[in-house]
Amino acid sequence: MSHIHIDVEKVSFGYEKGNEILKDISFHAGEGDSIGLVGANGVGKSTLLKLLVGLNPGFEGSIRVEEIPVQKDMLPKIREKIGYVFQDSDSQLFMSTAYDDIAFAPRNYGLPDAEVRVRVERALEMTGISYLRDKQIYKMSGGEKKLVSIATILSMTPDIILMDEPSIALDPRNRRNLIKILNSFEHLKIIASHDLDMILDTCDRTILMADGRIIRDGDTKEILSDQELLEKYGLELPLCMHNSVR
Amino acid sequence: MHMADALAAPAVAGTMYVCSAAAAAYSIKKVREEDDAKKVPVMGIMGAFVFAAQMINFTIPGTGSSGHLCGGMLLSALLGPYAGFLTMIGVLLIQCLLFADGGLLALGCNIWNMAFYGCFIGALLIWKPLMRKGITKGKIVLASVLGCVITLQFGAFSVTLETLASGITELPFKTFVMTMQPIHLAIGFVEGLITAAVLVFVYESRPELLYGSGENEKKQGLFSLKKTLVILAVVSVFIGGILSLFASSHPDGLEWSIEKITGSAELDNNDEIHEAAASVQEVTALLPDYAFKNSESAAGTAFSGIIGGVVVVIVCVAACYVFKFFRKKNGCGENI
Amino acid sequence: MSKIGSAIYEIHHIDAIAARDQWVNKVHPLVKLVLTVFYITVVVSFQKYDVAGLLGMAVYPLALFLLSEVSFGDSLKRLKLVLPLVCFVGILNPFLDRNYVEIDGVVFNAGILSMITLIMKGVFSVFASYLLIATTSIEKLCYAFRLLHVPKILVTQILLTYRYITVLLAEVNRVTQAYALRAPNQKGIHFKVWGSLTGQILLRSMDRANVVYESMNLRGYHGEFQYVGEKIRLSWKDVCYMVIWGGIFILFRNIPVIPVIGNAVGGLFL
Repeated sequence: MSHIHIDVEKVSFGYEKGNEILKDISFHAGEGDSIGLVGANGVGKSTLLKLLVGLNPGFEGSIRVEEIPVQKDMLPKIREKIGYVFQDSDSQLFMSTAYDDIAFAPRNYGLPDAEVRVRVERALEMTGISYLRDKQIYKMSGGEKKLVSIATILSMTPDIILMDEPSIALDPRNRRNLIKILNSFEHLKIIASHDLDMILDTCDRTILMADGRIIRDGDTKEILSDQELLEKYGLELPLCMHNSVR
Repeated sequence: MHMADALAAPAVAGTMYVCSAAAAAYSIKKVREEDDAKKVPVMGIMGAFVFAAQMINFTIPGTGSSGHLCGGMLLSALLGPYAGFLTMIGVLLIQCLLFADGGLLALGCNIWNMAFYGCFIGALLIWKPLMRKGITKGKIVLASVLGCVITLQFGAFSVTLETLASGITELPFKTFVMTMQPIHLAIGFVEGLITAAVLVFVYESRPELLYGSGENEKKQGLFSLKKTLVILAVVSVFIGGILSLFASSHPDGLEWSIEKITGSAELDNNDEIHEAAASVQEVTALLPDYAFKNSESAAGTAFSGIIGGVVVVIVCVAACYVFKFFRKKNGCGENI
Repeated sequence: MSKIGSAIYEIHHIDAIAARDQWVNKVHPLVKLVLTVFYITVVVSFQKYDVAGLLGMAVYPLALFLLSEVSFGDSLKRLKLVLPLVCFVGILNPFLDRNYVEIDGVVFNAGILSMITLIMKGVFSVFASYLLIATTSIEKLCYAFRLLHVPKILVTQILLTYRYITVLLAEVNRVTQAYALRAPNQKGIHFKVWGSLTGQILLRSMDRANVVYESMNLRGYHGEFQYVGEKIRLSWKDVCYMVIWGGIFILFRNIPVIPVIGNAVGGLFL
């Protein structure tokens, strides 16, 4: 087994006692996996992602990222390995230009200026947005902001990438571009989304959640073509599958 | 309420800068002591919120006019006096730079008049004592209205004092005060109600966001009311003393600070400079005052004034164009 | 355009002109900041009857309008907040100050002179501030603040506020527009929803602050921003720029340049 992996065992979590949002979650993710996390609104997809980077402390069970347990004193180490892309790009991008935002993490890890520059340039290249380098964030379109958000975590050279609804509010072309870029990454990816077509295009494996539990964990094509299963848990077939079924 | 640069003499502006800087330094120390890494993003975004929310027009029932939110009071009720004060500094600076609301020189005055009173008096002397025994809706309304009215009264009075001390208006103190205070009484009342409405909403949905609720109570409780009052009294006496010194002794001669920098005083008062200027005048004027002095000097003054102005403008414009011309030429050269 | 809409436009506009490739825009921000404050200080320090002396100070905005190609019309719009206040304070001077001032044998009403100088001071200082922000971005100004040892926490706070002003203005704009569409006959927000409308935006802003904090944390933030901006070097050109303008300000403060030149040139011809 390679060193890049996440192990979640019997995890339960609730913001208030007696009101559990996640119940008895267990899964293993290994190197090169790309996992789609799907489910209706409010089933706990984002909560689960946040647990993995320790943004929600106080869960039951065990989460290990590359054999490091997710607990307070280990968080800096874990967060160096995981890049987390928030749903709302405006909240993630708080510096004024793309360059400064992408350089935020490397600077915080105390890298020298020259190395910071190299990291930023590489992240910009990987997302294909070198032309946005010095542009002010607030002047960017939604698609541009999303790509910059992804670049901000790539500059930390993470092993693992977590994304919360990356394709939301993107136009078809930006969405297509995003899918292409996601497919070019060899990281361990977990993508929470309602955009089942995108999941189909980017993830080999899918975890279907409902009511805080994992309902099904398996091959993406299998799960996303099971109309009965999807509709039972508040989802619908991906658009591209409509024809093939009928 | 924002003071303009033109209304503050350099000495007054400088004094207020020093006072505001002292309050800022103290606040920074206090915020650092709290050691809450989350404070920074919260301050930044709440500053932007206040900036944006102050642009909402709230209809005042029974009148055709509208009121606005009071930023200082709101911020201190959410972030506490120190973080609130620092946040207001950011807001005021950006307002002054982006929208010419206030001025760079008068920024010290504006920070004092609006942020200091709003945050320190509003939060420390009104909000905190009232909320000591728990927060209720009624107390929030009372504190907001009282806080806004009192801090605006202080602010308006300071504007009056600073303007008069700067010696730029002939308005008698009494008239000025009698115009400023009642207007701001009304404004303060409306702002207080709007601020109260927002804070009550926050209290009903997320009470833990309010300053003085929950765990920070015990820590903050150590800070005594007496101490605050004493500090405040000392500071106001200090400022009042300096300002009145300026206002009474020589209302026109406030420029001692700039005098020190530029080495000049008022032309009429300073013989040395005047002589120097006169000698320059003699040297440069080929026929010194010959044409006009004894005849119609009025026309002469106007005439030389116009000519002087035109020449200065021409020289300035010409210099700029020559400069730009050479820049362009150089630029092309570099490109090739 | 609504008030908020025009505010958003204004921010974008200023940012665009500050990012232009003009010579003045490239002058070191610290030099421009210090010069601007010094200019305003000198302007404001003029004696209240010294119209002629003050008039000479117009060379700075004049030259900068020409050099930076900042629109003069735009800067006139910015007077709308300052002038009413200044006029309120100054308008009664002609009636209250009934003294007379004699300049070169000409007698003026002192109150009128002091009103004119007050308005000129107001206009010049607004122009100077505008010329600063129209040629220098907020980020560069913050860099200058750091050079002046303004504490990091304050500079970070200014940068963050500036970053989120457009985001929150846009949000407030959406909310008030949605409100106005369903309340066509109201000029502002009805008092019954004062709290809930603004409060909702406030709570969302707090949530946003939380996410921003989380996002910072995930990228190694520990309470201090490492950011100080890319270093901008002070060149000899910047120093010259500063010395020349500083010299002109001091000179014009001490010598009534316009009457002196007027007499000299007038003397040449007559």
